[in-house]
Amino acid sequence: MVGKGGAGKSVIAGTMARVVARDGRRVLALDSDLLPGLSFSLGAGADPTQPPLGEAAEKDENGRWRLRKGVGPVRAVQRYATDAPDGIRLLQAGKTPQAGVEPIMGSLNAYYRVIHRLPRARTFEDWTFVGDLPAGPRHVAFGWAPYAETFVAVVQPTAQSALAARRVARIARMREGVRAVFVANRVTGADDVRHVEGLVGEPVMAAVPADEAVAHAERLGVAPVDHAPDSPAVVEIERLVAALAEG
Amino acid sequence: MKIMVAGKGGAGKTTVSGTVARALGRAGHSVLALDADANPMLGVSLGVGAERTDLLLGVRQGLETGEVEHEPTIEGMIERFGADAPDGVRLVVANRIDNDTPGCQCCGVSADQLLRELEDGERTVLCDLEAGLGTVLRMAPDSVDVVLVVANPTAKALEVARRAVAIAADKTEVIVLANRVRDDADLDAIRAAIPDRELIVVPEDATIARADRDGLAPIDLDPYSPGVTVLVALADRLAGAAVPG
Repeated sequence: MVGKGGAGKSVIAGTMARVVARDGRRVLALDSDLLPGLSFSLGAGADPTQPPLGEAAEKDENGRWRLRKGVGPVRAVQRYATDAPDGIRLLQAGKTPQAGVEPIMGSLNAYYRVIHRLPRARTFEDWTFVGDLPAGPRHVAFGWAPYAETFVAVVQPTAQSALAARRVARIARMREGVRAVFVANRVTGADDVRHVEGLVGEPVMAAVPADEAVAHAERLGVAPVDHAPDSPAVVEIERLVAALAEG
Repeated sequence: MKIMVAGKGGAGKTTVSGTVARALGRAGHSVLALDADANPMLGVSLGVGAERTDLLLGVRQGLETGEVEHEPTIEGMIERFGADAPDGVRLVVANRIDNDTPGCQCCGVSADQLLRELEDGERTVLCDLEAGLGTVLRMAPDSVDVVLVVANPTAKALEVARRAVAIAADKTEVIVLANRVRDDADLDAIRAAIPDRELIVVPEDATIARADRDGLAPIDLDPYSPGVTVLVALADRLAGAAVPG
């Protein structure tokens, strides 16, 4: 999930992950945002103060970060991912604490190394990875989602949101074998969908309606699937999951 | 004076930055608006238009592509790479990421560096930050006069705002904006997360929503709408703080 800040990346990522998991598939949720977000929308509450993944990395004799001996992607997910509802495993870099990024550097380094080895790990062949990237183009450009086959650019019906999604999708498509699709979020009608499609220059794969129940879940910091499982937004995200699975 | 605007993505940083910059400019102050986001959007809220904003060159990219052979001074960079926005505001984009080989971000011109080295003097430098806490964490104490932290009444945005306030308050003056407030419950939620601080309350505002939708500056649509009025008053207050003596 990529796009502008506040577009609804985490809400859609968290809800998609839950929908896929309820369908009986193994799900690894991946969170590289240094700000809180995905954990709330998965229904796993606030993020831990100390990212468990920090334990997976150490510095070598030259002061460079590396994964600890014996830690590969499978073990990292076994040991250092946390549990979210519906059997989801959540692997995340730490969230920036008040003291600065220094305390989470281990987890950041471990995260980057682990995600680059995920695509080749056979254990995960039948898993679904759902990644939530931070706002903007940075993580897409710097390869923080090497596991992604599809980038979902989330767009609100605003000019800035569309501009951001367009930019990020363009960067994502520079990588071979990657597709990028647009999903409109918080739309209040067909006009909004047309507005988004006009701004990004192509049809959207789904249009998630503005939904008071989801807004309420956001205020509470809980998962939309728990708060309002039958709400129109959740139903549309279910449809999106099916559409993505069809390819 | 130097002002930074921080908060979660989507909290309203760019709307606040653009509107406060325009209000300062309209009141006759010299304003340099620095877009420190690698996904630069400040031009939209300043009223230069979405498509034109998308074409603005970053200082970093301008230097890298050899757009100029030699540009030794920071003022020269602003002159060459900046763009004019209404009300006399000068807009400068620090760095934009547009491809999958953006180069080492530690090398070359950075937003942090521009913010650090730009001299404010008689003018106001207003910096719209990228979502996140990076620049706030890295800034030296007292290098910026005021940090505006934009909060929304959602669990995620409040968590980010709370962290930003805690980090920035150790270094300089912080003003918290409670943005998109619909009712008392919204305000209470923000108060509970960020207690014991004055809150500038920016109400949910149809004008700002319409400006967002169409890629316009809210102050151009209606300078007297409830939300814009609060931001114009904030600009007055900030300008007052800048008066010497």
